Amino acid sequence: MASETQPHGGAAHDGSAHDGGAHEHGHFGPEMWVIPESAGLTSDIAEKQRSSSTLFTVVLYAGALLTVLGVIGFVLRLLDGFSDHRVWGFYVAAFAFVFTLTSSAPLAACAFRFTKSHWRRPLSRISELFALVSVVNILLFIPALIALPDILNPLGASNEALDIRRTIWFRVPGGSPEWWQFAGMVGLAVNSLGILWLAAMPDMAQSRSQMTGFRASLYRTLSGRWYGTKRQWQIQKAGLAILGAFYFMLLVFMQFLVVSDFAMSLIPGWKDSILPPFYTVISFQGGLAIILLMAYAMRRWGGYREIIGVAPFWAASKVLLGLTLLHTYHLFAFFITYWYGRLEVEQNILNYLMFDSYLGIFWAQLFFTFFIPFPILVSNHARRLGWGAPLAGIFIIIGLMLFHIRIFAAAFASSDSESLYYFFMLKPIPAATFPDLWDIFIILGAVGIVMLVFRLGMMLLPPISVWEMKEGAMYQRVDTLIRGRYLVLGKPE
Amino acid sequence: MAKQAILGLFQDAESAANAGDALKSAGIADTEYDFLTDSPYPEGAFGEREEKHNLYLYPFIGALLGLTSGILITAMTQVAYPLETGGKPILSLPPMAIVCYEGTMLGAILFTVIGIVFESRLPKMKMGLYDNRITQGLIGLLVNAEQEKGPEVMQILNGAGAVDVKSEDD
Amino acid sequence: MQEGKVLPAAQINRDLLRSILETPRWFWPVVTLLGLIVLVAAITIGVMINTGLGITGLNYKVVWGFFITNFVFWIGISHAGVMLSAILRLAKAEWRRPATRAAEVLTIFSLMTAMIMPIIHTGRPWRILYWAFPYDFARGVWPNIRTPLVWDPSAILTYLTSSTMFVAIALVPDFAVLRDRTTGWPHRIYTLLAMGWEGNPRQWKLQIIAGVLLSALILPVFVSVHSIVSWDFGMAVAIKSWHSTVFAPYFVVGAVHSGVSAVVFAMILLRWAYGWQEYIRHEHIDALGRLLIVVATGWFYFLVMEIVFGIYGLEGDELAVRALQFLPTESGVPYNIWMIVFVGITYFLPVILWLPRAWRRNLWIMSTACISVNVGMWLERYLLFVPGQANKQFLTFTWNDYLPQPAEAIIVGATFAFVSMLMLLFSRVFPLVPLYDIKEGDILKTEIKVGRRTVPATFRED
Repeated sequence: MASETQPHGGAAHDGSAHDGGAHEHGHFGPEMWVIPESAGLTSDIAEKQRSSSTLFTVVLYAGALLTVLGVIGFVLRLLDGFSDHRVWGFYVAAFAFVFTLTSSAPLAACAFRFTKSHWRRPLSRISELFALVSVVNILLFIPALIALPDILNPLGASNEALDIRRTIWFRVPGGSPEWWQFAGMVGLAVNSLGILWLAAMPDMAQSRSQMTGFRASLYRTLSGRWYGTKRQWQIQKAGLAILGAFYFMLLVFMQFLVVSDFAMSLIPGWKDSILPPFYTVISFQGGLAIILLMAYAMRRWGGYREIIGVAPFWAASKVLLGLTLLHTYHLFAFFITYWYGRLEVEQNILNYLMFDSYLGIFWAQLFFTFFIPFPILVSNHARRLGWGAPLAGIFIIIGLMLFHIRIFAAAFASSDSESLYYFFMLKPIPAATFPDLWDIFIILGAVGIVMLVFRLGMMLLPPISVWEMKEGAMYQRVDTLIRGRYLVLGKPE
Repeated sequence: MAKQAILGLFQDAESAANAGDALKSAGIADTEYDFLTDSPYPEGAFGEREEKHNLYLYPFIGALLGLTSGILITAMTQVAYPLETGGKPILSLPPMAIVCYEGTMLGAILFTVIGIVFESRLPKMKMGLYDNRITQGLIGLLVNAEQEKGPEVMQILNGAGAVDVKSEDD
Repeated sequence: MQEGKVLPAAQINRDLLRSILETPRWFWPVVTLLGLIVLVAAITIGVMINTGLGITGLNYKVVWGFFITNFVFWIGISHAGVMLSAILRLAKAEWRRPATRAAEVLTIFSLMTAMIMPIIHTGRPWRILYWAFPYDFARGVWPNIRTPLVWDPSAILTYLTSSTMFVAIALVPDFAVLRDRTTGWPHRIYTLLAMGWEGNPRQWKLQIIAGVLLSALILPVFVSVHSIVSWDFGMAVAIKSWHSTVFAPYFVVGAVHSGVSAVVFAMILLRWAYGWQEYIRHEHIDALGRLLIVVATGWFYFLVMEIVFGIYGLEGDELAVRALQFLPTESGVPYNIWMIVFVGITYFLPVILWLPRAWRRNLWIMSTACISVNVGMWLERYLLFVPGQANKQFLTFTWNDYLPQPAEAIIVGATFAFVSMLMLLFSRVFPLVPLYDIKEGDILKTEIKVGRRTVPATFRED
């Protein structure tokens, strides 16, 4: 049933809650949102990019300050040297936390582009900007690799006793795990930066004439040959799809390596096949949470209200709800198998990670990653108003920080213990470790450096994917069906 | 005052909506007529009234009942027949949680289904004025107006292009 | 991506009710043939109950064989219904419309079939009642809820009840169409089933909310069912290779993989049998093919995790099971060759067939790929369950291999006939493609002009 065609953008509005009654008939809820008029979008975003709201100034300085604290903490930690691996547990937890969240964030843009979800458009660039943190990830990874206890030859064990520490590397390649891990991390960074570059190229090309100074020359260098020909668009889209697919595979693989080598191998007797998929699920959950948090801050305090509507939050919150449920499901699947098995080592590991040494952190994590966000995300009201998902996101991010402490710091704490020789029994169960002041500095620094890099990224590149917004505007309009006014969404291809 | 049911059948949605508008202008409240269709139109497509419902309450009540039944069954059977197996406590929370979870979901789903039926005002023991052609694509406009307004309603329906108009008396 | 025409309601009724209002010539001969196969299986079951499980290949060491493999296989197939219907409904995928009901009905029938397997496997089926249900008031012997074998019936019965309700609620508007198109006693039955449905806005509104709400409620059940089935194995410490934490999601994804493939094949068959070219179109099969590539790859990842962490422990008895699965053995059963065949036909062959767009739109190629997946997934379960039991273990003095016997082959083979027969009988009395869903899709269809090009579009309520 073809309806009469109208020029698009019949109602360009930001979709905030009170717009719900703007139309006499039709189910035109606040989640219905139309991408703003494309004319002037480029210059509008460029203008926003140059200016800075109070919040963003605070983020910049706070990020810088926390980073400095982190560097101080790190330098003072260095003074302890690497001979005692256990003191590096919190550093590794902080690294893994940053890695988990920020490496999954760029995947969101690729995934929702693959599913052709229109609502992704305002979130795409925010998601891709986290690719810049991948460079930080490489830097943070180097000390973590040095701090990693010898997986293949623990405590200078003799050749016959190689099997005393279990590892996914078995006895295979030279240079493992450090060099392979490092190569993977560099590959991940190159891949994500490639995605960012390819995705931002049309936007840089459009605003290269409007920018001055460093940005102008940067844009000219990075997008010099982009003219927006049909062929260029085709190659860009295909390139993004291919890079996205590679990134997904590489990311899942790297997560498997990181969580296996830096956590599972270090806890004697811990054999847990669900841990890598579980880690991937929480990484997607955290990645989406951090994107939604940034997007909400930009919408609410950063002057992007008319560009970032409520629709992305409404739609993404359902995905976040699904990931939150999956997180808890994977956790339960691990728990029930160990609980039911009742082998001594299983009971020891459960006691160490959940019910004894890290009891408090475990329950706090469960509250932050499930019991608090779940009711928020289930509430239609909270999701419709836009703040539900970002609020849940804050709790999830705190919960994931606790998760990383519980898993990675705990793994390092048990790594050199005498229990290594008790046939993988984790016996006696080690006590929980607590961060010292330098660890706290390092954790704060990890949060700070993400804020700083993201804020600098926002200044450097257009924080909204202008071409995707303009593309979306072509395929959206508000139209009448009999007596009601509804959103019409076109799906090309 | 006695009410009379009148059913107008329209070839297309636009004429049916026109008839609805005309009824509204003639002072007939939108609670007194309904559009009958063979498939769901988007809400508000005919300019009809907004329907309120309490469906979302049902799953909560069902879940609560299901959870309670689950807890009672899992706890009472184990206490009544305390057979220790595999070194697990008689009242083991993790397995109880699994069965309670299924009970909760079953309760929620069953109550949702009951809710859907009741909130849809079904089952209807006696069909009111109806026409088989509605499920063949015609749009029905069923008016339950006061008897004295009957002729006016018929005139409006005919005027809006109804292919057929039926009343309860026919 | 809309390739179909907007059809008048009367034609949609005529086309989609053809399976009910007219009987194709092949219908009764095919149903009778399937019925005969089921009858033979029923007799075999009778003989088995009478003479005992000795007529099967099950033995002291391998106690779970063909029946349990088949049980898990059909549970897996049952996951297609909710996966397709609920997830696609929540994601507002337009192309779901013709597929949902067939998928949901397949869920119900495959669940019913799956349930038969463990029941007859017990040898004395009547006893399962007081093992699983708290009904034996006289003796005061209550089920032990600390075993996964009791979690299982609770999950499966919840799932069966929920999916039956899900289908039943969505059938009410279609019953009304049938009520209006039939006469005599069928008319009276459909009138009863339609419960006085007239299609007013309130009823439709609740029908739409019902779809979404029930989808959201049924999804967690769907995940729990196969997880719990996997815990039948995963909880066991004694049998090496089973006690793996990844089993739950691994089974769920595997179930979706085989289930969606089965639905695609069923849709192709229905399209061919009832001439539903206008409704089950190439675009739908294409979209399902793309979805399957993602699902298959996810499944493959879990498979790798399961194997890697099986070996990771480097425990002697677990390595022995893995050796049995992957290396040539002297036992006579070439599990390693089956393993290669299984991975090949479950992942590599179908994914290669699904990659080119033209192949996804070729119904022969799609059918081949989907059958290949299902043969492979059946084999997967077999290779997951049997070698672990057949392997000699610590402190056991006897061990045997397992060779399925004709009785098991007949019963397992007949389950396919049973499900096909039930699907055909269902299509004889209820519409397998939801009429109102197709009509709604047509109402919401529109287009957007971008320059010279017309892009298909849909009206959206949110």
